[in-house]
Amino acid sequence: MLVSLNWLKEFVDIKMAPFDFGEALTMSGTKVETLTIVSENVVNIFTGKITKIEAHPNADKLTICTVDLGMDERVIVTAAKNVFEGAIVPVAIDGAVIANGTKIGTNDFRGVLSYGMFCSIEELGMNTDLFSKEIMEGILILPENTPLGMDARELLWLDDVIIDVELTANRSDCQSIVGIAREAAATLDLPMAEVTGYDATSESNAEIADYLAVRIEDPACPRYVAKMLKVKKIEDSPLWLQIKLLNSGVRPINNIVDVTNYVMLELGQPLHAFDYHSLQSQEIVVRTVVDKKIVTLDDKEREIDESMLMITNGKAPVAIAGVMGGENSEITEKTSLVVLESANFNKGSVRLTAKQLGLRTEASSRFEKGVDPELASVAALRATQLLLDISACDVIEGMIDVYPQVATLKKVALDVNWFNAFVGISLTVEEVSSMLTRLFFTVKRISDTVLEVEVPSYRMDIELKEDLAEEVVRIFGYDRIPGTIMGGETMVGGKTPVQKFEDSLKNILVGQGYYETLTSSFTSEKRLRGLNTQLEDNLIPLINPLGEENSIMRHTLIGHQLEVISLNYNRKNPTGCFFELSNTYQKNSNSGELPIEAKKLAISTYGSGDYFELKGVVELLLKHSGIDDPDFVAGGSDFLHPGRKAEIFVKGIKLGEIGEIHPIVVKHYELPKRCYVCQLSFDELFESASLDNKFTDLPKFPASNRDLAILVKAEIPAAAIAAIIRKNSGEILESFELFDVYTGAQIPDGYKSLAYALNFRHHERTLTDNDINPVIDQILGELKQAFDAQLRE
Amino acid sequence: MELELKQLRDRCIADLNAVTELKTLDNVRIKYLGKKGELTIALKGMGKLSNEERPIIGKLANEIREEIESNIMAQKQFLERQEIEAQIKEESIDVSLPGQKHQAGNLHPLTTIINDLKEIFLGMGFSIAEGPEIEWAKYNFDYLNVPQDHSARDLQDTFYYQDDIVLRTQTSPVQVRVMEEQQPPLRIISPGRVYRCDEIDATHSPVFHQMEGLVIDKGITMSDLKGTLDLFAKKLFGEQTKTKFRPHQFYFTEPSAEMDVTCFKCGGVGCKVCSNTGWIEILGCGMVHPNVLRFCGIDPDEYSGFAFGMGLDRITMIKYGINDLRLLFENDLRFLAQFK
Ligand SMILES: [Zn+2]
Repeated sequence: MLVSLNWLKEFVDIKMAPFDFGEALTMSGTKVETLTIVSENVVNIFTGKITKIEAHPNADKLTICTVDLGMDERVIVTAAKNVFEGAIVPVAIDGAVIANGTKIGTNDFRGVLSYGMFCSIEELGMNTDLFSKEIMEGILILPENTPLGMDARELLWLDDVIIDVELTANRSDCQSIVGIAREAAATLDLPMAEVTGYDATSESNAEIADYLAVRIEDPACPRYVAKMLKVKKIEDSPLWLQIKLLNSGVRPINNIVDVTNYVMLELGQPLHAFDYHSLQSQEIVVRTVVDKKIVTLDDKEREIDESMLMITNGKAPVAIAGVMGGENSEITEKTSLVVLESANFNKGSVRLTAKQLGLRTEASSRFEKGVDPELASVAALRATQLLLDISACDVIEGMIDVYPQVATLKKVALDVNWFNAFVGISLTVEEVSSMLTRLFFTVKRISDTVLEVEVPSYRMDIELKEDLAEEVVRIFGYDRIPGTIMGGETMVGGKTPVQKFEDSLKNILVGQGYYETLTSSFTSEKRLRGLNTQLEDNLIPLINPLGEENSIMRHTLIGHQLEVISLNYNRKNPTGCFFELSNTYQKNSNSGELPIEAKKLAISTYGSGDYFELKGVVELLLKHSGIDDPDFVAGGSDFLHPGRKAEIFVKGIKLGEIGEIHPIVVKHYELPKRCYVCQLSFDELFESASLDNKFTDLPKFPASNRDLAILVKAEIPAAAIAAIIRKNSGEILESFELFDVYTGAQIPDGYKSLAYALNFRHHERTLTDNDINPVIDQILGELKQAFDAQLRE
Repeated sequence: MELELKQLRDRCIADLNAVTELKTLDNVRIKYLGKKGELTIALKGMGKLSNEERPIIGKLANEIREEIESNIMAQKQFLERQEIEAQIKEESIDVSLPGQKHQAGNLHPLTTIINDLKEIFLGMGFSIAEGPEIEWAKYNFDYLNVPQDHSARDLQDTFYYQDDIVLRTQTSPVQVRVMEEQQPPLRIISPGRVYRCDEIDATHSPVFHQMEGLVIDKGITMSDLKGTLDLFAKKLFGEQTKTKFRPHQFYFTEPSAEMDVTCFKCGGVGCKVCSNTGWIEILGCGMVHPNVLRFCGIDPDEYSGFAFGMGLDRITMIKYGINDLRLLFENDLRFLAQFK
């Protein structure tokens, strides 16, 4: 919200430098984002009246103007077309500086000396967005009654500082000059000026009743105040009024509309002015309607429905309540009677209507945050006073005020002892009381330490003692609260075993050269189809995704790993090793429960290594997890190469799968020819892991090693042979390793030679051939029986 | 006999000196000192000697034996040294050639920041709590005191899976779950993924990360909040870091604050990183709202506490000087490999 410091100073005598004032406001809870001087550079621009315009003897496009600057008179040569004799304009005299920093001197225009120049709004540094193109392109013509020789900096508030404040959602009462002034007064401990409104207390309502009645038929309108005025003349507002609007970012329109906007800016109450005759009715009814359309003030046809609160003339809508007026009852040059609406609308109702219409206005955004119903009459009378002050209207006696349920003021008790203990400071009852009083609370001491605090109607955010604590503390100063170290029970804290396990897996992968990735949780049907896999029916689609490609919560990390590979490959990074430990999501078959979130570990690589290298890394992870005998069984998902994929089991539990990416998927994802991935279920991995580290005595007796080269049909999986070796060796087989797979010379076609190193050891004695030979025989026997395998000599 | 022995010794020493390889050195020993060696045979002839001669010759023979043995030893050491020197000479390498390539990967910078933060709070006795990312709307909003008609609940702001299930927009629901399940005293942090309907750009992402913290105990004060978070800031950004607490508003806390830290880049003078303010906004915090405590079955008259929350992606970007949030999610190796 933009706040004019000059305007603010009409309420609070702020003497400190703008920057310091901004800091003080920020530290008491009104966050100041920026402070901007309207026009920093401008000097020596004064108001002058053009008394004579003559043609230039040597140039058709130039005219020679004689200008009365009050104290002196000078000649200005101009090319501007919109100047005329009698016009009062801003004149940059020689030595002046205009907004963009250009210095103005005396210049010779084709033989005629010009002692300065006339200024446009842009040259003055004013906000060009708020003027029509016509005004923007010409010289600024000032009102007829503008004094001559006046410094434009003062007259046009070019030295004003525009404060951009960020308001928190709970402080709807700060959406106005008065609201910020209250904060400034409390922060700086200064008095605050009152707003003067029209005094209607002695008026009878008979006159207004002749014209109008108001009926509220919907609780979404808690109060409706109407005041009526007779228009004297619809014209431009006086300059001072226009400038306050401009410096608040609002475009001046005409005196009536400007006053409604002025009061909204000043007090925070949105007002609306209707043309009485256009209402074509003697009543205003606030209710919903069955009409389908209304044309709003901005000349747009809006589709409305029965959920939206309308202001009607009893038959048709004339305004969308709290959002925007209708074109049918707009103030025009012909308007002779004005109905000034100062109403209160429910914030939820306005928010939904504005959202549905996609129409946010200054009015709706104030109502959405909440406006104090008490303000309605104050604002109506303030606007009336202003319209009289600027001689725009005469008053029609009386005021309509439909206010079915007058709000009562809240009272909250605050125990100063509790407050001190809660904050960790020690203020006296008097100190707390005075800070609350500064904030316009009415404070009564009801016991030794307890204050009864009456909350002003506009402080809709104050409900509890904690709310009051914040009020006191922010005036006391957050920076004055000491910092202490927590007392209370000592807490051990620390990571759980699962959290430590996660860290250790990541550390191993990093040590093996893998980079951790961070990918989004979203995927889509299209992206999943690229995985050559039937879509599962346990997916989690979002109701309101950001586009199709982000419409589903991922149930696998594979797609994202492939996207990472694709990106790196297509950016010419020659190799890549990646991993990610993240959640995946799927439907929960138990109704009434949240979806299932399962952590998975995905590992992927391209550009170097092969299936076995990745498998080695997986085996290392498993070994680290205390899993010595995982089973890699051929098979797995359809995104993997049918001949190069395996499912990983530990004691019959499936942990995941590993393999090379299917050539079709390689195409879909624009991948390098060979990529390898593995995905493990983290929870199952943790369940299967045995992480207790226990010491066992070092062996006292030597080991015996035997090498076996076994000739077997090529299609027999090594795992099957390993299983037979393990099964027949009993306790004395300490370890064994497949150290060579050989095909070629000396090996018959369709066969392979597998060379194993077996390592036998007994922990109580030295093994002899008599111990080992029977085991070897047994192994060879079963291998022969099962696979017709031979020992190669 | 005496002469014979002395000649034998001289021959042996000459033989020894002629040996140039370690492996033939033993031949000399065997030739003279072996079972059938010359000295052994010579000594066998001692039986023929007279009783007077025998001790003299015996002594001499022993001396010669010792002399030969020490000569063998000396020659052995000499040859060994020679052999090592030859080996060294032969094996010298160009140590300036490049080493064999080994690759260590690294954690994502966001994880590294999370780890840094965890370490700081674990050291203060906090535990790490986790909770679902797809969460009941009531845990994400109602129990956190968010008003029923608040725009954060809109489809424009929050992703919905079902009418009553959302993608959590903050990690605060974890705090609610912890408060529901455990009795105070509590000290937890909850880092994690959160979601909001923001199109991705240089500073926004629909998926981002937060870490929140919660302390509940008897007698926890706002000063404790300040002290704890000030200590945290000093640990994360350095001893000289100062903090500034500004009043703010959150539904979850009352009173609430935002905490700024002095810019670690310029030290508070003002620079590009801090938009010339000297301060960087780091987190939101406050005293846990009594409504929230009550929702979770904790008596606000008995217990109080504070909570804080910060955007991890933002802190990662600030700490490493990353200028575009999208880089965090893109996973280009040339990016990832920069964070050792
Ligand atoms: Zn800086």
